[in-house]
Amino acid sequence: MKKTVLGSLALATMLCADSDVEQLKKIVADQQKVIHQLQQRIETIENHDKNRQQQELKAKIAKADTFSASFNQTGFLPDIAFIINGSAVSRNVKNSEYEKFEIPGFVDAGEAELPFNKNRGFNLNYAELALHSAVDPYFDAFAFLHLHPNKLEIGEAYVTTRSLPYSLRVKAGKFKSNFGRINAKHQHSWHFDTQPLVYKAMLGPDGISDPGVQLQWVAPTDNYLMIGAEAMQGNNERSFGDPEENNLYVGYLKGSMDVGDTTLLAGTSIAHGRNDSGHATDIYGVDFTTRTYLDAYSFLTWQTEALWRDMNDGSASNMQAGLYTQLIYQIDRNYGCGVRYDTLFRNRDGQPDDLDRYTAMVEYKPFPMSRLRLQYSHDRSKMIDNQRKDIDEVILSINIAAGAHGAHAF
Amino acid sequence: MKKILFIVLLLTTAVFAKVNVAATYPYLGEIVKRVGGDHVRVTVLASPKYDPHFVVPKPSLLGKLSRADMLVINGAGLEIGWLPPLIKSANNGKINPGSRGFTDASQVIDLINKPTAVSRAYGDIHPQGNPHFNTDPHNIVPIAMLVAHKLEKIDPAHASDYESRLQHFIDHWNTFVQSFDAKMKPCRGMKVVQYHQLYNYFLARYGIVSMGTIEPLPGISPSSKHTLKLIGMMRREDIKTILQDPYHEKKTARFIADKTGAHIVVLPHDVGAVPGTDTLEKFYLSYAERLCR
Repeated sequence: MKKTVLGSLALATMLCADSDVEQLKKIVADQQKVIHQLQQRIETIENHDKNRQQQELKAKIAKADTFSASFNQTGFLPDIAFIINGSAVSRNVKNSEYEKFEIPGFVDAGEAELPFNKNRGFNLNYAELALHSAVDPYFDAFAFLHLHPNKLEIGEAYVTTRSLPYSLRVKAGKFKSNFGRINAKHQHSWHFDTQPLVYKAMLGPDGISDPGVQLQWVAPTDNYLMIGAEAMQGNNERSFGDPEENNLYVGYLKGSMDVGDTTLLAGTSIAHGRNDSGHATDIYGVDFTTRTYLDAYSFLTWQTEALWRDMNDGSASNMQAGLYTQLIYQIDRNYGCGVRYDTLFRNRDGQPDDLDRYTAMVEYKPFPMSRLRLQYSHDRSKMIDNQRKDIDEVILSINIAAGAHGAHAF
Repeated sequence: MKKILFIVLLLTTAVFAKVNVAATYPYLGEIVKRVGGDHVRVTVLASPKYDPHFVVPKPSLLGKLSRADMLVINGAGLEIGWLPPLIKSANNGKINPGSRGFTDASQVIDLINKPTAVSRAYGDIHPQGNPHFNTDPHNIVPIAMLVAHKLEKIDPAHASDYESRLQHFIDHWNTFVQSFDAKMKPCRGMKVVQYHQLYNYFLARYGIVSMGTIEPLPGISPSSKHTLKLIGMMRREDIKTILQDPYHEKKTARFIADKTGAHIVVLPHDVGAVPGTDTLEKFYLSYAERLCR
């Protein structure tokens, strides 16, 4: 019995094994078929790819027959911004009289340079071309070319370093000094169309703007602390202008911190040079700005700056001083308004020290690149033909900045 | 003895020195924190309360940039109106465009809405494409990978740490996004109007159709003519949802809602822009909660 069982068991296993082998063989054959098919597909794809590469190469060769972009430099074009500033002016003084105004103790009759808003009626103040480009990994280059109706003026042209260590930066060329709060700012970024009286009286429309070198250090901290020093030619005729050699040295310290939604900025500056009589002139400046952000587009700025000038003309040393204080309210992204009070509160012996001016403006920016501004001022600082003359002035100005995005500093 | 002390001191400062990372926007700062952990000190430059296009170039930002070993920007032109002059005045060669510490997130994103013609006559357009890609949670992982890659280069001593933190973050984020995608499913096919083309990446991802903007052109304030046209369109198309960001004026949206019976959904544009969105997860979840109930 046992034998029979064993025998049948053995037979069954053998039979089963036989069919297993058959099945395995079939699976292997199937797989080989699949592999073969895959190989064929790969070959087709490879051939296809090869054909495509061949075709692409042929197309490239056909194109290279006449075409090359190797000397194409448009990618290296500098950033270019184009600024136009013009105005319509109404004034209670004739042009011929206005040209010879004097600011007693500061600006002699006929010596006021008047590049902006000079004439009653229409003025094209300037067109400005602002260029910027990285030169190489080490330098950035900037140029601001002023096109006045009858002349081309290099407002600024300078290089700055990109990668000095220890948070240092050197600027060299012709540039506007960082003296004070607004000396470095261009006319079109002022909050009013007219320059603060104290700047106009002591430094003229261009401010301190000279060939020279500048070194600045920014503290690597959460708050802002910047120290800068400049050596400049000292061409500014209002306060310096010794024709014999470079004579002007400028130094400043600026600090800023944020308190909640308010930014505080304060600075102190000194400019030491020689005037055209060969004697020393010192100008000291302090400035203070607060800006409170009310929402994404609205803020309130209060800015005050005072300058003292000690200008030795050889016979006597005289301290003069003036300040402006202004309040700007940016209502929303389109509308803003502001008021400013200017005063020259200290003057040479025998000269008036009650020179002042009141200014108010409203402005409308349909877009960040364009601005219309209406400004009124009542000016009690001028003399015409040796007579004090109050000047009332209304200026409607337009400013556009097209092209590359010229983001402004704080 | 003194020498040893000195060396130990030096070593400890080297070991504990953190990588100073400045990030332009809060969501980028969050990504850096997640990947960098204890090895980084993150400073965010822009407040989430305000318009990301018009960040005030506060002087204090100069000090923060001056200190940075690495700068992470959104890119695609979102910072063009405020950051370039700050970089130039921060006197820090490490974060100049093109140097090792400069990181541009837009480089790892497939940008959409790339204009075929570039002119400011079409408003404040971005030539590289729509820069508001942070509204789509699927864009977070590529940025995290880029940040890790940069951190590993700047701080090779902790490379393996960054790598493992990144892996951990990716795993976590993939799980999060999976559940988020499920939450967004019911909103597919919804029609909306938005103030600015701010949510396009998010809307495209989840099959929501943007039918128009309250701004007539990017960056241009609403006009009555355009608003009336929009109201007519919304009535015709039966659009019941207005997407409003927290920083633009809301008067126009309220007027339109009044006239059309639509409801206004305020969606944050960045982490922390509205209360309760102070992490990446909460930021995105607020989209599903506010829009897709």
